[in-house]
Amino acid sequence: MDWLVWVVGGLVLVGAGFGAAFGPGVRAAARAREQAWVLARGAVEVAEVGRDASTAAVPRAEELLSQAQALVACGGGARVARRATGFARAAERAWREHGRG
Amino acid sequence: MARAPGWVRWAVLGVAAVVVVVFLLAQRHAVDVSYGQSPAARDVIPEGAAGELSAAAVPSAGELAALVRADPVVRLPGAIARWDEKRVADAIGDRDVRILVAPPGLDEAERDRVRTAEGATIRVIGTDVSGGPYAAAGDSSDDWRAQFGTGDVTNQLVALVAGLHGEDAPPDVDPVTWREPTAAELEPVLADLRATGVHRAAGATLTDVPAEAARSAFPDGALYLALPLQPFGEPLPAWGPALAKSFPDKPIVVLYGSWITSTGPHAADFADVVGATFYGRFAERLARYAYPQRAILSAYLNKVTDVRYAGLFDRPLPYRPADPLEVALPALPLVFLACAVTFLALSVRSPRRPTRDGTRRAPARLAGLTALAVEVSALSRDPALTRGIAKLGAARDALAGGVPDRRVAALLDDAQSELDHTARALGRPEYRPDAYLAGGPA
Repeated sequence: MDWLVWVVGGLVLVGAGFGAAFGPGVRAAARAREQAWVLARGAVEVAEVGRDASTAAVPRAEELLSQAQALVACGGGARVARRATGFARAAERAWREHGRG
Repeated sequence: MARAPGWVRWAVLGVAAVVVVVFLLAQRHAVDVSYGQSPAARDVIPEGAAGELSAAAVPSAGELAALVRADPVVRLPGAIARWDEKRVADAIGDRDVRILVAPPGLDEAERDRVRTAEGATIRVIGTDVSGGPYAAAGDSSDDWRAQFGTGDVTNQLVALVAGLHGEDAPPDVDPVTWREPTAAELEPVLADLRATGVHRAAGATLTDVPAEAARSAFPDGALYLALPLQPFGEPLPAWGPALAKSFPDKPIVVLYGSWITSTGPHAADFADVVGATFYGRFAERLARYAYPQRAILSAYLNKVTDVRYAGLFDRPLPYRPADPLEVALPALPLVFLACAVTFLALSVRSPRRPTRDGTRRAPARLAGLTALAVEVSALSRDPALTRGIAKLGAARDALAGGVPDRRVAALLDDAQSELDHTARALGRPEYRPDAYLAGGPA
């Protein structure tokens, strides 16, 4: 049973090593996802304000915004959040350009 | 601090792992110490595997007791030990000493039966002599030569008899005498040695010379002559000196039964030491068991190798290039430590990096732009102002959510351009954000 000490010790050591290596990375990834969703929600709000401020109806922008809102409602990873942000910004830009004319 | 690319961290970890594996695999240092790493094989005489057990049978305990009762000297079939009857009889005198002589190579149970044989004062197993609480063993090359070359145990028996009766042992007598081999004997041996380097006399148990042991013991080759156990009481043929005349520059190894001698160049340097260490260590086993000559020769050659590599005789060793692993081994723990510390340092830095990016200007900008938006909102109904306020709200949420400052800065830039647009539309340059943030309203 002597070897058990080495096995357990080795497992603890390896586990601690992986924890030290991956723990911060996992936490950082989680934080990055949260931040991406904050940005996405902010972009959607800005787009909604842009829609209200616009003088003309822009169907493409409506479509983009609704996609962004759907993504925000569904949730997901950081890439989904960035996609939603992109849709919302594109919608906002479309309203600003067309709504001015 | 410059930002190290992500792969550096993992490369360092990989190097550390490799170093650990190399270091652990290199930990095979044995306890034995050899100057110059002698290549002699280990486990020279493995238990039982060398064919040291003979097929000789030992009668049952009852039969042994009957035999011993019937005769003062009992020789079981296959017994090889001989002695000078007269000297032993003189030592015994008129005491009742019964000697039981058994063949070598008995297994454990048979040896026990012989040792506990009822009535036997002295037991001889092979050439291993014991009696009462004592055992008598040779302790000089003369003793060993007689014991292993001819099966002569006279000195041991005499000493044991004296010991059993509390007397001082008489001085040992070297019973071995030498003679020149005859021309008729010499001829076939010389022919064989010239042809193959090995001669096996009739009755010798040597099958072949262990090649690897022979190569490391005598790298330039040697001649081997194997003879069976020599007849007791006759002079031994002095093969070494006789053959040295024909082969003056070759080492010559002669086996008389279990007794091995070396002659030839440098023999004076090692033969005595090898003989003394070899028989000093293995005499007990060689006496008890019936080892085939090949096993004995193999062990002997390994001992020769050990002595050659022992560095005792100013013999230069062949050049051995330094093993890079051996040289690097002491540095490996430090390399590992450096790798581990680097890896940990890089790992600790990476999650903190985002929040330590320069000085935090975003909150001040957000506050300034918000104040501007509040002031302008009383004057303007421009959609750009609405959008700007919405973007300020988004920037505030982002800031509260811990988003990196450069992202917040991008949002603030957006908001600022909207507010700038508003101020220009209003025609109030003092409300343009650059001017407002720089100095406030004039």
